[in-house]
Amino acid sequence: MTATKAARSSGSTWTRSRGSTWLRSRTGARVVGIASSIAVIALVELLIIAGAINAFVVPKPTQILLAIPRIIAEENVLHRFWQTAQEVIWASLMLAVFGIALGSLLFRFVGLRLAFEAWVGALAAAPIVLMYPLFLVIFGRSTTTIVMIGFAAGLAPVILKTLDGLSGTRKVLIDVGRSFKLSRGQQFRKVLLPAALPAVFVGLKLGLIFAMINIVGVEFLINFGGLGQLINELAERYDLPGTYGAILFVILASVLFFAVLERIERWLRPVE
Amino acid sequence: MALRAPPPDPSTLLDVRNITKRFGTGEEAIVAVDDVSFSVAPGEFVSIIGPSGCGKSTLFNIIGGLTGDYDGSVTVEGSAVSGTHPAIGMVFQEESTFPWRTVEDNVAFPLEIAGAPKAQRMERAAHFIALVGLQGFERRYPSELSGGMRQRVAIARTLASEPRILLMDEPFAALDEQTRLLLGDKVLQIQQTLQQTTLLITHNLTEAVQLSDRVLVMTYRPGRLKRSVRIDLPHPRDSEVVSSAAFGQFVAEIWQDLREEASRGVEDAESRVRKGAARR
Amino acid sequence: MAAAGGMRPDSSSASHRVWLLRVAFVVIALLAWEALSRSGVLFKDVVPSLAAIGRALANVLSTRDFYANLGVTAQEIGIAVVIGGVAGVAVGIMLGANRFLSQAFESLLLYLGPTPKIIFFPVMIMWFGVGTGSKIAMGVVSCFFPIAISTAAGMRQIDTVLIRVGRSFRASTWQMVKSIYLPAMREPIVTGLRLGLGVAIIGTLLAETKLSNRGLGYLVIQSYALFDMPKMYALLIVLFVLSIGVNAMIGRFSHAQRRALA
Repeated sequence: MTATKAARSSGSTWTRSRGSTWLRSRTGARVVGIASSIAVIALVELLIIAGAINAFVVPKPTQILLAIPRIIAEENVLHRFWQTAQEVIWASLMLAVFGIALGSLLFRFVGLRLAFEAWVGALAAAPIVLMYPLFLVIFGRSTTTIVMIGFAAGLAPVILKTLDGLSGTRKVLIDVGRSFKLSRGQQFRKVLLPAALPAVFVGLKLGLIFAMINIVGVEFLINFGGLGQLINELAERYDLPGTYGAILFVILASVLFFAVLERIERWLRPVE
Repeated sequence: MALRAPPPDPSTLLDVRNITKRFGTGEEAIVAVDDVSFSVAPGEFVSIIGPSGCGKSTLFNIIGGLTGDYDGSVTVEGSAVSGTHPAIGMVFQEESTFPWRTVEDNVAFPLEIAGAPKAQRMERAAHFIALVGLQGFERRYPSELSGGMRQRVAIARTLASEPRILLMDEPFAALDEQTRLLLGDKVLQIQQTLQQTTLLITHNLTEAVQLSDRVLVMTYRPGRLKRSVRIDLPHPRDSEVVSSAAFGQFVAEIWQDLREEASRGVEDAESRVRKGAARR
Repeated sequence: MAAAGGMRPDSSSASHRVWLLRVAFVVIALLAWEALSRSGVLFKDVVPSLAAIGRALANVLSTRDFYANLGVTAQEIGIAVVIGGVAGVAVGIMLGANRFLSQAFESLLLYLGPTPKIIFFPVMIMWFGVGTGSKIAMGVVSCFFPIAISTAAGMRQIDTVLIRVGRSFRASTWQMVKSIYLPAMREPIVTGLRLGLGVAIIGTLLAETKLSNRGLGYLVIQSYALFDMPKMYALLIVLFVLSIGVNAMIGRFSHAQRRALA
């Protein structure tokens, strides 16, 4: 588009401006971003080959990439992925049920809200995952511990955003409900909750991300579970390319998770 | 000078008597509405016009039952209004369609609340959607429609609850002039067809004269009814009627009263700013 | 007849209600705890009595050992936030100021941000050893992202009108930075630092629990290993009070600053 406009205005310099305009465009920038990342990786590869970086501390990027199919085959990565995914799903269900319920409760009873909203806010900033040794004692070295930590870590944002969404409903919509003499329950189900849905989803997105991060982290720390445990195991075996590869794999998986959540949020947005 | 309360009349649909509303207490109290009384006969289209700040939106909320804590009474078909009343349908100034529902689900909303079965709901909704001229748009979402179309959806939704009286608070205020004229026309057509008793709150003079059988003029705060003007113009109020001399005369007559109140409003706003500045 | 209107409670009775509810909540929680502890429903020491926890708390707070470890952790977090903060603000400013760089690299930050950082710990150990270096590195990796992202967003939100005003008065770069950029950036940077501090605390402490012989995280995992539950509870309480307290203080500070400037 920009290229055509530039073409019409600058006639003979068409070829030159086309190139630099594209470079400055959004896709151009993205390509530069990816290209420079690849360039950095290539540079690291060369430095390791040259001996400037110790190959025992940082394995060659090519080795790391090769390690990924190996660990997928040998370490049952897909099964582990499913294990972690299950933990995340359980935590998500609990977050949706309890988070939205508690948020609605705080909205319904103003006294409760005035008293405890600030506390929930403080909880959101608190390092809940540090209680994992406590959870270990209470729930043992099990999936329950991992799910509970994911749930605890993600709860506060869900409650807060649900509260936010419900109380942010436009007054006129509430008045419409009142003008049709809706009962309290009807008002909640048919006006407040649908109006709050975009905000509720943002809260769930945040909660899910916190849950996922803490679930994988705790798997790593307690050496139990799916993907997090894999990284820990490979590290303890001093399988360097494997460790790096597994870390890369987990990062990619979490990026994908985040991207999917963003997509869903965008899909829910146009309704408003 | 406030109009004196008319004697109770069985042929009136809406009876508003001695409404006074104060905000705040003691010295700081603002009297928004002061001893307002009027009535609306069945099938009548009455407009209330006044400058900004004259308390007409407060009156709207009181008659509709959204605001309590006032002196006086509101009666619909003989029964007193306390809280929102099923016989009163309200159309608001702001965007009021439910963004998460399609047009037909919006319009069917009052029927859904009343518990009507789905097939019946959709049939009735289709009827009112056609009435406001939105046939074909049933499955669309409000975000896909223009402002004027959304207001039509809101009007259809309120009409679907078949209220005895339709109460509208500047429903066309957010629309551009042309849409406003066309929509006003449409609403009048519907009103005439259904013989729907209507009370319209507006600040637009031409609109009030074009649509109403009677125009009530309010003073600036504290809001009192200054004048009642009967609009004796023929229906349909087409472009010929609107451009006639008689129309112009009604507009001029009402403007005389309104202008006085409007300039009081402007003076008041200016003096408030001056007082605020002096305080610093 | 006037319809029934809702009565708005005056502010003093409302705040009484708030305190009443909060106190009631805490009291009920403590009573429930004590009841649970005495009932023996859970394995004996998992829920120690309030007295036992209180004693452990007093013990912990009175030993030099605790404060030494607290100092180690505080130092690690402090250094991590400084390094991560400087790097984060620098990168954030670059990305926020230059549209091309932002489109090229900012999505990298946005997508790498919400990932579990603790899994990098084995790599940090390889690079920085088993001592404080690797813990600081964990803290840096944790806090870099939120600070950079917040700073970049803040840069972009500076009202472009203000920038044009500065340019129209031909302000020098330093004057622009001092009078327009810095005041406008104060809030996003403080927000980013607050977030960054939170995750730096988590990252550093988790690293300490995994592999360390000093620091608060080490003390926590040690009490787990020794099954000294009262001590673990005491340590966790101290940890939470400290981190929530620091967060609240930063919040108060930034509010006070804002009011002073208003």
